[in-house]
Amino acid sequence: MSLEKLLENPRIWRGSSQIDARAGLASGYPKLDRCLPGGGWPLAALTEILIEQYGIGELRLLMPALAQLSVEKTQAEYTEPGWIAWIAPPFQPYAPALQQYGIDLSRMLIVRPKDDSELLWSAEQALSSGTCAAVLLWPDTLDDRASRRLQLAAEKGHSWAIAFRPLTARQQPSAAALRIELQSTGQGTRVHILKSRGGRPAVLNNLL
Amino acid sequence: MSRAWKSPVAIRAATPTLAAKQQVLPFAEPAPVSQPAVVTPTPVRRLWFCIYLPDLPLEACRRSDEALAIVEEQHGVHRVLQADSTATAAGILPGQSSNAALALLPTLILEERSRIREQQTLERLATWLERFSSFVSIADKGVLLLEIAGSLRLFGGLPSLRQEISQGLRAQGFSAALAIAPTPLAATWLARAGRRVCIRATENLNSALRKLPLTCLDWPAGQRAALAGMGVTSVGDCLRLPREGFTRRFGAERLLELDRALGHLPDPRDSWRAPERFCADYELTEEQTDRELLLNICRELLQSHEQFLLMRQLGTQRVCFSFFHLKGVATELRLGAALADRSAARWFDLLRIRFEQMRLPEPVIAVRLRSGLSQALQAETERLCFHNKPEKQRRRYSIAQLAERLVARIGRQSVNAVTMVAEHRPEYAWRAQDLLSDGPSSTLSSHCIKRPLWMLAEPALLSADNGYPLHRGCRLTLLNGPERLETGWWDEHGISRDYYTAVNGAGIRLWVFRNRQRTPDWYLHGIFG
Repeated sequence: MSLEKLLENPRIWRGSSQIDARAGLASGYPKLDRCLPGGGWPLAALTEILIEQYGIGELRLLMPALAQLSVEKTQAEYTEPGWIAWIAPPFQPYAPALQQYGIDLSRMLIVRPKDDSELLWSAEQALSSGTCAAVLLWPDTLDDRASRRLQLAAEKGHSWAIAFRPLTARQQPSAAALRIELQSTGQGTRVHILKSRGGRPAVLNNLL
Repeated sequence: MSRAWKSPVAIRAATPTLAAKQQVLPFAEPAPVSQPAVVTPTPVRRLWFCIYLPDLPLEACRRSDEALAIVEEQHGVHRVLQADSTATAAGILPGQSSNAALALLPTLILEERSRIREQQTLERLATWLERFSSFVSIADKGVLLLEIAGSLRLFGGLPSLRQEISQGLRAQGFSAALAIAPTPLAATWLARAGRRVCIRATENLNSALRKLPLTCLDWPAGQRAALAGMGVTSVGDCLRLPREGFTRRFGAERLLELDRALGHLPDPRDSWRAPERFCADYELTEEQTDRELLLNICRELLQSHEQFLLMRQLGTQRVCFSFFHLKGVATELRLGAALADRSAARWFDLLRIRFEQMRLPEPVIAVRLRSGLSQALQAETERLCFHNKPEKQRRRYSIAQLAERLVARIGRQSVNAVTMVAEHRPEYAWRAQDLLSDGPSSTLSSHCIKRPLWMLAEPALLSADNGYPLHRGCRLTLLNGPERLETGWWDEHGISRDYYTAVNGAGIRLWVFRNRQRTPDWYLHGIFG
């Protein structure tokens, strides 16, 4: 049996065929972009960032991309750039610093839900609304079903969902298109791509 | 013409002149050719359309097709005032006691007459009638008056206008008597008498009114009886009486009425204006706890609310639902929208989010919807689209809609935007503000020193080891600093701090400061993220 014939079998799944034709959003870190399929953050999908503790560099990692989203239209037919929603941030996102990173503050929405069910509801609303270019959320827990719902809402609203989770979530299954782990190594922060739809796992040392 | 009416000493004297005139000019059209030199300003011709609703007490209470009778208390006994066709067929007549009526037809529904409901019905009809004329007036006792002289052209003449109105009334379940006359009182009387007439010229009024019986004039029964005793039973008989004697016996008011009806005297009316705010009640026949049913009632109210606002090209930012209970105060549910809106679907969407969480302590007996201040609606212009798939390109919600939904579920305080404030104190350099409110934003000109992305709500006290700050038991390494911020002396929250960038054992950069006032303690204020 030739290789071509074997590949025609519909039961064979090839990772490369799943690569989204849409280009990713440049992360501002060329080293990271090279490891991501589409050359950047996967838009219209859920990205999970697993962190050891807050402040490890998770926001700095996102800042260039968020700044670009807040000033540029994500789709040609939109008349204005989308909003950036922060849902249940653990601390106050500090406006002067965000501005220093080039984020348009007039397009920021901060939501502080009371519990996780409200948080997921808000995130789903914001993602599927199509008004938010990016939705950042800090859930206490996020099970497989919830992550699938977020992924679907992100696809529906063509919005970028970013969920921040503790390192312990690494063992849990997730529907996220991209899972990244951030760990401090003493000299800098190590970025570990755990799962990347259409890409390969990778480790980037001292990225930040 | 009007000179003749100005000082009529007696009706008797005025009448023959009018009769004579009518013979000469039967159609009351002035002949301009006969007097070409004299230019007299033509008086404003008015035409009044009267809608008389004889069955208003019944029709205002009608909910279903079941047999219905309206009762009113007379001398301590509830007597039937009006009965619908089914009840009449069963032998129920006005004037019967309610017990007798129930004996004849046990399934009969008896309703107490509600003047408030009658008035509400009249107002609703008046609102509807505003589409036909700019001047609608609610006269008492089931009479609505429209001034239609100015509307004839728009609605294609009198017959088509009359047909449109009568069809509309029938469709809404009202049986009405219609009459058209140049004066409001004449139109009212003619409608009450059940004459489907249309009198366009004042000259023809007299002959039309003469035949009317006095019963359609709404005069006190005592006076009518006295007049009947004198052999006076019609308007014409009244007009034949001497004016002074008539005034002495029956009061100047009656004579004035006759003069107004005939157009001798002006008869100004109040124009009815629809209220600017919407308020409607839905009364339930019994207490209800079924939430689906209540939601449906709310939806109905919202739909009439939308109609109300649509007619005025208005929208509103707030609506308030009140759920009334038999015992205890009403439960209120207030909804707010970021942008003025009237769409029932959108308000219902918001309502459902809140309604799910609302607790009703008692069963509900009535629901009221009141809208807040209305404002001109800012209609959005859609982009002209020549392609076949406009749906795909449009965003599902605007940010305003998203914010409304979030606010409806998790509360106004929890959904914010942020803005900058020109202030050196870090905690005051930003401000949370209501979404979509264009608050002032000001920024200090130069911020060359990096600020942390995460800010603690309150600076956290750090313990110290030999003057060095500790974070989670580990000594911090100071990288940059100090940046001295000493400001705010003009209010109670003045600060004097030395800020440092520090790094902890895990490599996380922190923003810490040492207080220069009072005690030289270390505080953690931000994390660089």
